Amino acid sequence: MNVNAPMVGKLVSVDVKVGDAVKKNDAVATIEAMKMFVKIYVPADGTVKEIKVTPGDVINPDTVIMVLE
Amino acid sequence: MRKIYEELARKKEQISRMGGEKAVANQKKAGKWTARERIEYFFDPGTFTEIGPFVRHRITAFGMADKDVPAEGVVVGYGKVNGRMVMAAAEDYTSMAGTFGEYHGKKFATAIDMAKEMGIPFVGMNDSGGARLQEGMDTLEAYAWIFKSQNLASGIIPQIALLMGPCLGGQAYHPVMQDFVFQCRKTGFMGIAGPAFVKTQLGIEIDLETLCGIQAHAVKSGCTHVVVEDDKDCLDRTKELLNFLPQNNKEKPERLPATDDPNRLVPELDGLVPEHSLMPYDMHDILYKIVDGGYFYEIMRDFAPNVIVGFARFNGRSVGVVASQPNWMGGVIDCNAADKVARFVRFCDLFNIPLVNIHDTPAFMIGPYEEHKGILRHGAKMLYAYIDATVPKVTLIIRKSFAGAYLGMCCKDTGADLVFAWPEATVTIVGAETAASVIFAKEIKNAENPEEVKAKRIQEYRDLYENPYRAAERGYIDNVIMPNETRKYICGALDMLENKTVARPWRKHSNINL
Repeated sequence: MNVNAPMVGKLVSVDVKVGDAVKKNDAVATIEAMKMFVKIYVPADGTVKEIKVTPGDVINPDTVIMVLE
Repeated sequence: MRKIYEELARKKEQISRMGGEKAVANQKKAGKWTARERIEYFFDPGTFTEIGPFVRHRITAFGMADKDVPAEGVVVGYGKVNGRMVMAAAEDYTSMAGTFGEYHGKKFATAIDMAKEMGIPFVGMNDSGGARLQEGMDTLEAYAWIFKSQNLASGIIPQIALLMGPCLGGQAYHPVMQDFVFQCRKTGFMGIAGPAFVKTQLGIEIDLETLCGIQAHAVKSGCTHVVVEDDKDCLDRTKELLNFLPQNNKEKPERLPATDDPNRLVPELDGLVPEHSLMPYDMHDILYKIVDGGYFYEIMRDFAPNVIVGFARFNGRSVGVVASQPNWMGGVIDCNAADKVARFVRFCDLFNIPLVNIHDTPAFMIGPYEEHKGILRHGAKMLYAYIDATVPKVTLIIRKSFAGAYLGMCCKDTGADLVFAWPEATVTIVGAETAASVIFAKEIKNAENPEEVKAKRIQEYRDLYENPYRAAERGYIDNVIMPNETRKYICGALDMLENKTVARPWRKHSNINL
């Protein structure tokens, strides 16, 4: 399952690491967009399998931020 | 006893058994109540009068001549709900799968017509296998009757649609056009066409839940307003919602005796908003503290969470609340959020429910994603909704309120009667960074130390404009208040605005962007 951002922004931080267990609606990353820190939430329970971005990257709704299994 | 009295009793008993034991057992196995059980639970005991139990279809083709459908598959009638008269129609899935035919539709439509003329709310309990194809054109035109009836009643009486079973095709259309749609989590479905039709016409394999369930409509499409767990929860929550609404558009909602002091100060609000302007927080924390008894009835909680809408009470008065949610997408307004706010504001305007609008939003969303979805025309809906509305409108600016978002969330000149702001409020045309880099672009470019000049100019703009006082100097903000006084000011404002009436020249309606 892919985790995407809801909007365009710049990645500030990724707050989990590969192997972490996450639950639905956990905040796993932060982007800065439109003068606000916007948290990225997980759509369902899972384990972090792969993190595909680094802080500083420009993120848009099509960018896969991380993959869960 | 006379034979004819016995006959009546026998006929009524037959009808009350609906589709028969087996069909009723299947209904229960699916986790659903029967139509008559729902009616029994919903109405105050002993107050329900059924009308049209003997109505019968008149089709003879396709084996219909001998087919008896008790009450034509829909139980219609009126009664009291928490002491107030309500009209209801409950589809009976056990009787020919509650399918919608000419007379089923006629019962529904005439019930809505009657509710409209009597000025009482209408509640539809939808649970149906779809349109009755055997009746051909008679079914199709009956949909026109029901659409016409409910659309002509729209804005005259509150209409609530409960999705308590499959509602596909025409059966999805009439609920979705009513004021609020409730969807049962595991048993309520709504869709223009179901999986079978989608497979044969488009070749796409998809299950009912994914195509038409809660994720589809409460989260993605925004067609469902309230998600409920099951039939009982659905009926309970419907009654709760009715409490906030008047019987019809000529009345105000009932004002309850105030149990929460309107002058209650809320010291926890002082210092609640993060000092760092980029840090988000949950707007619900503020809402629960300022409304009567911490009680907020949220509408469309899972759709466009970047803005919050719902009903609450202030000093016993029923009020519609619209508030930014900084915790989701920074509280930015996108197409979905604009739609959500606009329809809610227009509903409150129809039914004399005052509005409290709380700002903490940095902007309308920009960029190709929202641009190409039409953020221009969607955002315009908010402006139309607020400016058209004649109900009392009280605005509270908590923190950010910039540019178009300031106007769209209802400011002094886009419809607010009174505007209050916290000292944390930053109300200006654009944020300091954007402004400084545009106004002083040349100076920064030609400077020896551009970063230093830029930072200086940003700070200059920030000091001058990122606060509530420039707007307050012009009277666009009526007062800057301490956060702890918020409830006091809102309740006081609603008192003063109680008898607001607005006179305008006649026109049919505005040309709101759609």
